Amino acid sequence: MSSHEPPTPVRLVPLPPFKPDLYERAWQSVPHPTLPLLATTHQKSVTVFSLSTLSAHSSLTNGHERSVRSATWQPNLPPHKLCLITGSFDSSAGLWRWEDEGQGGGDSLEVEMTGGAKEDSEEKDWELIVVLEGHDSEIKSVAFSPSGQYVATCSRDKSVWIWEDVGASEDDEWETIAVLSEHDGDVKSVAWCPDTNRSGRGRYSSDVLASASYDDTVRIWREDEDGEWACVAVLEGHKGTVWGVQWEPKPKTDRFPRLLTWSADRTVRIWTLKEEEDEPEGTARHTFGRLGGIPNTMRRSLKEEWNCTAILPTAHTRDIYSATWSPATGRVASTGSDGVIAIYGEESVDANGAGGATTEDEATAELDGDVLMSNGHSENKPEASKQWKLLSTTPNAHGPYEINHVTWCKRYDTGCAPEKRGIEEMLVTTGDDGIVRPWQIS
Amino acid sequence: MDKDNANPTILNVSELPTRQNKKKAVTPGKVTELDLGIVLRRPEYLSAPFCDVPWASDDTDSDDGFTIEPIDEQEIYDLISTISDPEHPLSLGQLAVVNLPDIHITPSPSAAADPNTLTQVLVKITPTITHCSLATVIGLGIRVRLEQALPPNYRVDVMIKEGTHSQDDQVNKQLADKERVAAALENATLKGVLDKMLETCV
Repeated sequence: MSSHEPPTPVRLVPLPPFKPDLYERAWQSVPHPTLPLLATTHQKSVTVFSLSTLSAHSSLTNGHERSVRSATWQPNLPPHKLCLITGSFDSSAGLWRWEDEGQGGGDSLEVEMTGGAKEDSEEKDWELIVVLEGHDSEIKSVAFSPSGQYVATCSRDKSVWIWEDVGASEDDEWETIAVLSEHDGDVKSVAWCPDTNRSGRGRYSSDVLASASYDDTVRIWREDEDGEWACVAVLEGHKGTVWGVQWEPKPKTDRFPRLLTWSADRTVRIWTLKEEEDEPEGTARHTFGRLGGIPNTMRRSLKEEWNCTAILPTAHTRDIYSATWSPATGRVASTGSDGVIAIYGEESVDANGAGGATTEDEATAELDGDVLMSNGHSENKPEASKQWKLLSTTPNAHGPYEINHVTWCKRYDTGCAPEKRGIEEMLVTTGDDGIVRPWQIS
Repeated sequence: MDKDNANPTILNVSELPTRQNKKKAVTPGKVTELDLGIVLRRPEYLSAPFCDVPWASDDTDSDDGFTIEPIDEQEIYDLISTISDPEHPLSLGQLAVVNLPDIHITPSPSAAADPNTLTQVLVKITPTITHCSLATVIGLGIRVRLEQALPPNYRVDVMIKEGTHSQDDQVNKQLADKERVAAALENATLKGVLDKMLETCV
């Protein structure tokens, strides 16, 4: 969708929920990066749903002693192999594999997914291979890096751990390569920057991790040339627990992906990296005392400057538990304790208004001191001509219940025209009522 | 273990706010004294499901009643004042940890409310002393009790009353955190403490 179109009215139409109903709080539903599968965490297990049949495909049980809070799919596997990592309140992360051994060929899984779940393939095919242990308390979030090389886990113990599979190709020998302990509170969520064919930056490699915390901040982490992971930025502005963070999936220009964060303070914010070429000489704002003896050129590469460049229009009255940024349309959806699903779009502003006008929300943010007083002036020119607009709100999306998660997801169900399957997007919400519900956008 | 507060101020049960003709099953063993010192906040015909009403049979009093009668502050008080203190053999009502004027329902109770309309119940608790380390556990007990007893459109917020606790921001933030509350309930030790506190509720 072009960002030059006028604001379009957006309506959410509920589709029949996934079967079966889970009847108990479900935390999160994670779409597979390429296959028509969705993993929903609830109680001590994960139910994998088929996006073709909108019914259960398989489940992961008996691996955790306490609730499974989060799950992540290993990317870049052949289509007959599946791998999930689960993060649990029991302080461990489980690595599970599912292999379609009986039928060998790569297309059998596909057949099963499109033709409906076969009874004999349930449950027994998921095997818990490795338990990643080390955190002192509940794991809140797990995330595979885009290449599948790394996994990040985070916990109430205030730390983020990065794990790497150092074994031979099929061996699953996972080692901790970094323990990042700079947050002052529970780390609620971790997210890897998508692989957008970026090269490294300065002395850092291309992998970038963001973490959101109970300490109200977001931190950005990179690996330096010595293999050491370091915090390169602290994003301050939220006035409550930052429940989550997501990277911009597909930036329109070659600029660095922006960050989306959402919080108990009922705001959704967007943060933008101040790219190096814009940086003035003699960067006096980098006041890192211990680096005093290092020349400016090098000092600049150590830290990044991230600014809050937008606060999305107010749509929620309680904690925002989840938000999602569409790779296809660039739209953002958010949900939370108030049971509202809100959808926002980034719209072009009339050329006449682009010079001085800021949105009401940006103005508020400026008054709060959260956003640099720079919109509409030189340094953030590309953003100044765009504004986030609230396109729709859907109250009571799960009746009276809280909604814990929302995600954009491709459609593969029979209600979608065959030529649009795998292309058309829907939203999927996951609630305290144990319902996992797809929504058509019209 | 030394108690944080060995000599708390204790209210006489008869001084606690209640309704006339309070249903006896609500607080077994204490109810006999409750007919005195009544705070009659609403006429009896409007009173909530835990009270005896002539046209409601005894076994349909709790769940069925929610859609019929609005839940008011007194009913919230009745649900949580009978929770036992984790270190004293007394109820939170007797210790004045929970007090009727510190319970707020938004929007105000009304019989016509849509069952999907979100209703906030804010309970401000007064720990017995300013450094009471059990404030979080007490708050958790109240949140759990109300979430179990109230319909799903209720959102329960438990906070420390301003100026009564030395670390109130920290406690408030924990009590507001859904994920922490969920995880706490899976901790066997803590769950044991909570179950014991809630034993005295019916």
